[in-house]
Amino acid sequence: MSVALAIAVGGLFAVGTFLLLQRDLIRVVLGVAVVSQATFVYLIAMGGIDEGARDLVPVLDTHGGGVPEIADPVVQALVLTAIVISFGTTALALVLSYRAYEENETMDVTEWAR
Amino acid sequence: MSLLVIAPLLVAVTTAVLTLALGRRPGIQRATSVVGVLGYVGTVSAAVWTLVLGPAAPGAAVYQVGGWPAPFGITLVLDGLSAFMLTIAAGVGIASILFSIRYVTPENQRVYYHPLFHMLLVGVTGAFLTGDLFNLFVWFEVMLIASYVFVAFYGTDRATAASFRYLVMNVFGSALMLIAVGGLYATTGTLNMADMARRLAAPDAYGIDPAPVVGLSALLLAVFALKAGLVPFQFWVPGAYTAAPTPITAMFAGVTKKVGMYAIVRLYFTVFAAAAVPVDLFGMTAASPLAFLAPVLGAMGAASIVVGGFGAVGQDRLEGVFAYSSVGQVGFIAVPVAIAAAADPAGTLRGAAVAAALVFALHHALAKGLLFLSVGAIEDATDTDRLRELGGLADRSPVLSGAVFVGLLSLMGLPPLAGFFGKLLAFDAAVRGLASDPGVAPALALVALLLGAVLTILYATRVWIVGFWGRETPAVEAASVDSGQVAVLVALAAAVVLVGVGFDPVYRFAETAATAALDGEAYVEVVGLEGGDGA
Repeated sequence: MSVALAIAVGGLFAVGTFLLLQRDLIRVVLGVAVVSQATFVYLIAMGGIDEGARDLVPVLDTHGGGVPEIADPVVQALVLTAIVISFGTTALALVLSYRAYEENETMDVTEWAR
Repeated sequence: MSLLVIAPLLVAVTTAVLTLALGRRPGIQRATSVVGVLGYVGTVSAAVWTLVLGPAAPGAAVYQVGGWPAPFGITLVLDGLSAFMLTIAAGVGIASILFSIRYVTPENQRVYYHPLFHMLLVGVTGAFLTGDLFNLFVWFEVMLIASYVFVAFYGTDRATAASFRYLVMNVFGSALMLIAVGGLYATTGTLNMADMARRLAAPDAYGIDPAPVVGLSALLLAVFALKAGLVPFQFWVPGAYTAAPTPITAMFAGVTKKVGMYAIVRLYFTVFAAAAVPVDLFGMTAASPLAFLAPVLGAMGAASIVVGGFGAVGQDRLEGVFAYSSVGQVGFIAVPVAIAAAADPAGTLRGAAVAAALVFALHHALAKGLLFLSVGAIEDATDTDRLRELGGLADRSPVLSGAVFVGLLSLMGLPPLAGFFGKLLAFDAAVRGLASDPGVAPALALVALLLGAVLTILYATRVWIVGFWGRETPAVEAASVDSGQVAVLVALAAAVVLVGVGFDPVYRFAETAATAALDGEAYVEVVGLEGGDGA
């Protein structure tokens, strides 16, 4: 499971970074979104997602004792918060990219005003 | 547990909501905004006095949000270091909002200026107060989202492009920060900074393997350096600073940049310092991540001083000069921090160097705030901030020029201004660092500081000679300076002088802050980890 997750995180980061380095405005915005998603998958993986293994869950392993075998709730709360923030930032990025496109009259971010 | 700890945050949030609701009544909105910042200054002063500085003060206090005990809930901690940073934020904030009222056109103020200003204050305050690593990320985002809008505020081609670049870069930075936070959580099993410090100090007792902390802390250093605009992450600074409205640029340079430096000091010195992690990298062997911080941050700081200094000398716009100057001055904060990291934990140099960095941060916030606001006043009066279109301002408006003169002299470091003590302490730390460990690296740090001081004198003199002396240019002849704006500048200039003249209490405050930053055990004790096994 962790190998699959590692590949997923690595793949998402690679795609996101590739998109971020493009000249086209929309690809850059998509890159922003994909990189954020990659970190979310990574965060979930940090909670230890093997089935029913309490000792893999950091908060349960070190603070609990007699806790039922459940997934780590902390990383889920973190990811939820991060998703909301990322949603807001991506929405702002989209609005901003439209306005910047209007002002600069090109989709090529390397030709924008400095 | 004290409600005063969270009070500044509540005041700022309430004001943000109120000013948003009062968008249709511009007069009342502006008044609310000013009253809100005054309330912020009041609560910060009350909290700092009763909890940290006053005769009966406990020295530090916590607020457990929602009544959840640490380490499970979010803990807000007001200790000496947070108090010092909050004081800087309050000082720059009040000057910036008063100036904004007279500077930003009423139409522009009406929309989202005031709510965003207070949200910026909320983000900064939260970042200074929080004792939870993930919560620090959240406050960074609050601060950044307000900053994106402010950079794009005027909606021109340059402003929108600068804002978009700033956004993309910071989203990437935030992704890196999340990776570091997630990794630290997986490594130590906690997000609470005090709990993390406790666990890292005794990894065997808690059954954790702290080795990944070295790499993860380096990732955090990169993110915080990006926020602070240290070389090699300085490239966003000039674009963002020149695009934002100048009162906001004063906030960026004075406060949000310091959040990055604050986070470095807080995490490395309070949390990671106790970590018994053997570092064995690139031929370096050391006992804690702090030893790794010293050469990296030192090199970044020295490079910032050089790049910022040379960049500022070559600029043809006032705002550009001061934006590059900010890059250089943050280097002056970073180098003492690096010296502190390299110093012997038992000696007095570490505390003195951190105090030097803090005093320099205070000086920079006041002086650069003053200078950016004066750029705003000059731009408002003459419609330009290009150096070659300015000249003779000293004749045209002696009071405005006098305030700028104080700011420039403080940047250069002339006694008895605030900048003199900032530079004195930074050099003192560098010389003591060299004396205790004669080697190439401390010597290079000292050379960089000297070069930076010379370059500062060079660009400050150039600004004064070109812009303020000489014959009045047509733009300056037609200028009419707003007296309300000048009043704010004079007040800030007076603050720069006062901090220098009455330096003793300021230094004692900075020493208290440095002691708090270095004493991880006291931090753990204040937070009072009630929950979990280790209590």
